[in-house]
Amino acid sequence: MAVTSTAPDTVPTTSTYREPRRRPAFGRLLAWVFMALGLVVTLFPFYWMLRTALSNTRALAANADSLLPTGFTLGAFERVLGLSTTAEAIAQGGSGASVNFWIYLRNSVVVATTSTAGQVFFGALAAYAFARLSWPGRDKLFFAFITALMIPPIFTILPNFILIKDLGLLDTYLGIVLPTLLMTPFSVFFLRQFFLGIPREIEEAAMIDGAGRFRVFFTIIVPMSAAPITTLSLLTYITSWNDYLWPLLVGKSESVRVLTVALGLFRSQTPQGSPDWAGLMAATLIAALPILVIYAFVGPRLINSIGFSGIK
Amino acid sequence: MTTITSRLRVRGQTRPPRSRPRSDLRAAAMFVLPATIGFVVFYLWPALRGVYYSFTDFSVLSPAEWVGTDNYETLIQDDLVRNAFGVTLQYVLINIGAQTVLAMGLAVLMHRLTKSMAVRGALLLPYLVANVVVALTWFWMLDYQIGIVNQGLDWVGIDRVAFFGDSAWAIPTIAMINVWRHVGYTALLIFAGLQTIPPHLYEAAALDGSGEVRTFFKITLPLLRPVLAMVLVITVTGSFQIFDTVAVTTAGGPVNATRVIYYYIYDLAFTRYEFGYASALSVVLFVVLASVAFAQIKLLRAGESDLA
Amino acid sequence: MRRHVRALAGLAVISLTLAACSGGNGDSDDSAGSASGATINYWLWDANQLGAYQKCADTFQESSGITVKIEQYGWDDYWSSLTNNFVAGTAPDVFTDHLSHYPQFAEQNQILDMSDLVEEDGIDLSVYQDGLADLWVTEDGGRYGLPKDWDTVAIFYNTDMLAEAGLLADDMANLEWNPDDGGSYEQVIAALTVDKNGVRGNEPGFDKDNVEVYGLGLGPTGGGAFGQTEWSMYAMSNGFEYADQNPWGTEWNYDSEAFAETMTWWRSLIEKGYMPSLEIASSAVSLTETYGAGGLAMVTEGSWNTNAIMTLEGVDTALAPTPIGPDGERASVFNGLADSIYVGTEHPEEAWEWVKFLGSAECQDLVAEEAVVFPAVKTSLERANAAFEAKGYDVSAFTVHVEEGTTHLAPIAKNWAALDAIITAAVARFLLFQADADVYETANSEVNALFTND
Repeated sequence: MAVTSTAPDTVPTTSTYREPRRRPAFGRLLAWVFMALGLVVTLFPFYWMLRTALSNTRALAANADSLLPTGFTLGAFERVLGLSTTAEAIAQGGSGASVNFWIYLRNSVVVATTSTAGQVFFGALAAYAFARLSWPGRDKLFFAFITALMIPPIFTILPNFILIKDLGLLDTYLGIVLPTLLMTPFSVFFLRQFFLGIPREIEEAAMIDGAGRFRVFFTIIVPMSAAPITTLSLLTYITSWNDYLWPLLVGKSESVRVLTVALGLFRSQTPQGSPDWAGLMAATLIAALPILVIYAFVGPRLINSIGFSGIK
Repeated sequence: MTTITSRLRVRGQTRPPRSRPRSDLRAAAMFVLPATIGFVVFYLWPALRGVYYSFTDFSVLSPAEWVGTDNYETLIQDDLVRNAFGVTLQYVLINIGAQTVLAMGLAVLMHRLTKSMAVRGALLLPYLVANVVVALTWFWMLDYQIGIVNQGLDWVGIDRVAFFGDSAWAIPTIAMINVWRHVGYTALLIFAGLQTIPPHLYEAAALDGSGEVRTFFKITLPLLRPVLAMVLVITVTGSFQIFDTVAVTTAGGPVNATRVIYYYIYDLAFTRYEFGYASALSVVLFVVLASVAFAQIKLLRAGESDLA
Repeated sequence: MRRHVRALAGLAVISLTLAACSGGNGDSDDSAGSASGATINYWLWDANQLGAYQKCADTFQESSGITVKIEQYGWDDYWSSLTNNFVAGTAPDVFTDHLSHYPQFAEQNQILDMSDLVEEDGIDLSVYQDGLADLWVTEDGGRYGLPKDWDTVAIFYNTDMLAEAGLLADDMANLEWNPDDGGSYEQVIAALTVDKNGVRGNEPGFDKDNVEVYGLGLGPTGGGAFGQTEWSMYAMSNGFEYADQNPWGTEWNYDSEAFAETMTWWRSLIEKGYMPSLEIASSAVSLTETYGAGGLAMVTEGSWNTNAIMTLEGVDTALAPTPIGPDGERASVFNGLADSIYVGTEHPEEAWEWVKFLGSAECQDLVAEEAVVFPAVKTSLERANAAFEAKGYDVSAFTVHVEEGTTHLAPIAKNWAALDAIITAAVARFLLFQADADVYETANSEVNALFTND
């Protein structure tokens, strides 16, 4: 947020509308400083993760004040990608258990994609009903949906686990994905707030022309909401990608185990023990890469600069 | 400024949303059905079961025994519960306060200062890392002896700080760690909301000679209301449920200074197997959160939008 | 923008189909097992021991035809995953159990009582180190595990720092302590403490507010009710016993003179600047890392962390036994793990065979060779010693307690979680100087009250 000084503009302007140069320059500078500071604080821990990932776990403590990797080695990345032997792993402070990286990656992709697609799709449908349609009990049901945000996971994890087991869906993709596939309070809430902001005239015009609700939804609302939908998809994808507790319970077998569960290996193994720091950092960085790739593709769509200016 | 928004209001509102003569019930049913099924099966039913358990003595591995309101009575007298709510409230205020202000600032900057994809990506990066790993990384960086932050303080000549061990620092430290992780995400949500504000409003404002600050308070903020309300409800709710960071760093210490409500609930449920009591506490937490959310929604009038 | 919508819908359909179909692949052969026998599931948490137990499983399969599928989950997730699986009825057939959890499982009828099986098969319990097998018997005589390993506590010290202080390894072999002046133990700690100006703790001009290297390390919690690696070795060599009996004590001794004296002396180390304060200690990622960074000269740690500490780069470590206390002997808590059988197992006979094998010398020899833990079977101890020696570690500091009979059984009781919470808070307050030794009297009464209500 730019801060403007209160000194009157003394630069004479010839045209009626031209941005005065002196005042905003100072404000812009301040804004840039704020932004730069934010970036440094945001990014420094990542540098730290990288530095740790390229180090030898066992040498980390002794060289704690060095800003560079200690005992530079790619061993951590090898452990994460499953390329390292047990002996090498243990020598560097790892645990030596095997990691089938590519399988876990595939599983994470399937789970996250399915989960996101379902949540966004069904969430959008419900959000539209809450935002634009009027029907008895609408606001009460919506509030009920929101309160689902507050239900503590200890309430839901155990019963859902038993349900999935009773349905025979343990150790399947569907079992992992099912509880959040049809609805999450966040996706419904998020999209409903955006749909509220869409001007009614367009819909009304279309309906006057004879379009039904579904048509209006798919041909008008959704395209106009490309930015929020993309944002929601990205955030949902990330959340699903990083989900740990539920896939740990439901998806144990190798064929459905997701990356986060597999990489839990690098956390503390024994009571009062230390994690395999280098392995953990390498695992985190590698796990974050696919999302960065997606962001690179999807990012431009996060901006819908067309907005609604084309109404009239 | 008022002329612009009042012009908008006159144009935008043809009639208030509720007095539509025909009900869209049939269409609505189709739209809402899948989500409602998901809600009932995976959220509502477990929640109702949880409420049931709160009236029982349930040690998870044996059948539950009905004890009526015993758990709630114990709850009222339990010092740790009071402590937990106090600590959690402190945490929420610091966390949400800092996070919302910073996120708002960042969102506006992303919107008005720079359209760089790289900057946006960089700000979102912390959210890509799992909560537990964020906690571990910051734990390492803030370590008293070997953390780089304390090393830095040393180099500059300031005394080292026991970020997690000193009761005065523990909660603020945990709060700021979570701000670090979530500020980009929150900024992105707000930014998405900023997208929906028609640019011609800003042009008109600039034309009328309004500075950045004035435009922000008179145009941006009011029009952002539905999205802001949602962001606040979600972040406040999530903030009350802080757990991972505490579990990894302080484990509720020192001497309960960071024993937040959710940590206490988890401890009761999975370490002490007092699931009935934990359920009662969860129900209380739920009621508190629901009331807060309800208040937020009403106060911010999240059900309307000045744009439509 | 219509393409956008269609793409999303298409993706959803594909993913849903994929999810539904590929679910059942490759994992329904759990119960099929090998050609001759069944397959049972076995859980453990220590990834460092995976290799050893896999060897056991392979050997076991050759002799019995039963396949053992080993799954490893980290300590942080182990117990909640286990509990959730108990409730769902999908718990593993056999799993590594811990003294602090098995009483609860036994009470809830989740684990199998093996006492009949032990009698029928004539298992000789004397092959195990004294006392270990009894740890796994409940008050009503139920037996829930066969011991598989044991651990004790010793002092890990930085050999370079020792040399710089002008001390020899021999000086560390017979340290003594007492609650009044700390004895030779405190002298060593003081000598090893160095402040920012290079002045040692036993020299004039020592600045206790600006310490560079602490002589003795402190763990992040103060040890709680167990104090295994924090204070148990001092208290117990001062005559302290946890309760009127162990296992299954009901009257506790945290309000005893012996305990108060010990803790007061221990806390005095903080006041003198030889040990970091609890604020600093709990702001540390782990004791091992702080030690590895050269911030501590000595730490008292358990034998299960031997590898982690010994392999720290940049630090040369040696072991010394815990100090001899006022009652003329050393002390160390004796803890051990065992494997329990899930009561709902579909293969009880196979599970029992596996547990027997795990408790036998054959398997424990294999585990001993990995030099991670000390095996419970007496005869396997030689192999463990040899394996540790091969790595260059002199572990006599751990085994001396077994040889001299100075082990004390780890405390086992009902309501342990609640008890621990009360004492942990009391100890923390004490160490933070928020309360004095009388806090233990109050705490002890609260603890005793837990048992009178039973």
